Amino acid sequence: MNFTSLSILFVVAIFAWYLSFLATRLDRLHHRVETSWANLDGLLQRRAAIAIEIARSEIADPASSLLLTFAAHQAREASVKDRSQAETGLSGALGILLETSVGDHGAIEKDLLRELSELNEKIKVAISLHVESVNRTQMIRSRWLIRTFRLAGRAPLPVTYEFEADVL
Amino acid sequence: MTFERKRIGIVCPYGWDTPGGVQAHIADLATYLISQGHFVSVLAPTSDEDGLPDYVVSAGKPIAIPYNGAVARILFGPIAFARVRQWIAQGEFDLLHLHEPAIPSISLLACFAAEGPLVGTFHASAKKQKAIFAIGPILEPVIEKLTARIAVSEAARSTLTEHLETDAVVVPNGIYARRLASGAINPQWTGNTIGFIGRFAEPRKGLNVLVQALPSIIAEIPDVGVLVAGPGDADEFLETVPQNLRNRFTFLGRITEKEKADFLHSIGLYVAPNTGGESFGIILAEALAGGAAVVASDIPAFKALLGEGRYGSLFTSEDSQSLASSIVTILRDSQLREKFRSEGKVYAQSFDWDVVAERIYDVYEMAMVGLGKVTLSSENRGWNKFLGK
Repeated sequence: MNFTSLSILFVVAIFAWYLSFLATRLDRLHHRVETSWANLDGLLQRRAAIAIEIARSEIADPASSLLLTFAAHQAREASVKDRSQAETGLSGALGILLETSVGDHGAIEKDLLRELSELNEKIKVAISLHVESVNRTQMIRSRWLIRTFRLAGRAPLPVTYEFEADVL
Repeated sequence: MTFERKRIGIVCPYGWDTPGGVQAHIADLATYLISQGHFVSVLAPTSDEDGLPDYVVSAGKPIAIPYNGAVARILFGPIAFARVRQWIAQGEFDLLHLHEPAIPSISLLACFAAEGPLVGTFHASAKKQKAIFAIGPILEPVIEKLTARIAVSEAARSTLTEHLETDAVVVPNGIYARRLASGAINPQWTGNTIGFIGRFAEPRKGLNVLVQALPSIIAEIPDVGVLVAGPGDADEFLETVPQNLRNRFTFLGRITEKEKADFLHSIGLYVAPNTGGESFGIILAEALAGGAAVVASDIPAFKALLGEGRYGSLFTSEDSQSLASSIVTILRDSQLREKFRSEGKVYAQSFDWDVVAERIYDVYEMAMVGLGKVTLSSENRGWNKFLGK
């Protein structure tokens, strides 16, 4: 074996290593998108559950109770595609209620409201983590090397979750 | 909710024995987590292994390197890397928290070596540098492994977005607001006194701006004095001060936490003339918590911390005339001073460690969802599995 073929072999080996490195990187990102979504999904489900409890409690008057229950059920049953819109709707309904609710609440109501505000803080963090991992993955997947060698395999391209964090 | 005891590994990039914001932050965070019942191990470079807290593991002796306008005592190299790998492999951590992972340090090495739930905290803020285009591609795949990123301020966050194109959750630095709030009056420090705490000899702390402003302040308020606390050579600093102003300065050297609370409670106002390189301004938050009226330069971090001037007076950075007029206004207007003092004290409670650490732990919890333990990344490489290693 002469020097030329050796160096070609070397370059090919380095290239193969680099591709495997990129694939590992991408795999990690896909995994991250899944976990960050599972995390966000869980928190949003809990929020919907609390919203329904609030709707049943004495904080809400009948009209806002109706609005809230409707929004919470929509958020729970929405398909992935409509999810963000439904959740934004729920944020809006909760926002209106919390802004307009006045007067003293009992211990149970206070607990509910505290739990909700804690949950909102966590949801904000979860959203930013999820959005970050989705953006990263999309960015990496748009690179030509990854597209040419189909390193993403059959993993679906993650969808951006449009969530208006400032509604919360 | 049931409590789970977690094993948390924290990596400190800077020498543990030298005082600094990052080290203090890590020490406080570790203490808090331990008090909550978690197991914490901090990996840090140390020059002296004696007298370390139980939770600190030494990674070797740090090297002094100029970085971001100051001398950073950091550590890297193959031996340090082996230490980091060993620490990760033996620690069986549920989560690694890496501080300042974007500088060449053991934090970066740990980020490179580990896989699993990783949280990174970015402390520094810096202007966009040309060099970042060269080092960006090297850093990118490493920084990308962080499951969650925390920035200590909006300034640090925008540095991160500019340099590395990633976003972060902002969790401010923590202070012991309650402890600082209970200071006593020390008559030696009261009156028309201007207080300053920090390494006064460093140019970026901006104490020379105050020196330039002093003649105009004296013209309006003849009995004004400057109290300086913090490590440094006072005589060397006084050489740079004009002869007729030297008697205005009193140097207290390093002060204890208790003295700090008294100091902040007693002084006429606290001044922070920093010219830049500051990302959050922990001392400013402490000054507010201690009940001092604050005058600070309008660098982005301070502007954000003081709510655009709601909780303290801002002056044009490096402009001594602007500083002088701000100081004179506050020392003369006792009503404004009292307003700043009382409102700032309440506001500073939101930086208390209990609040801040809880928020950091929330991020931990999210990072730990579904990722298992921290492992060495090479074990997980596809080809290693393939080879049956």
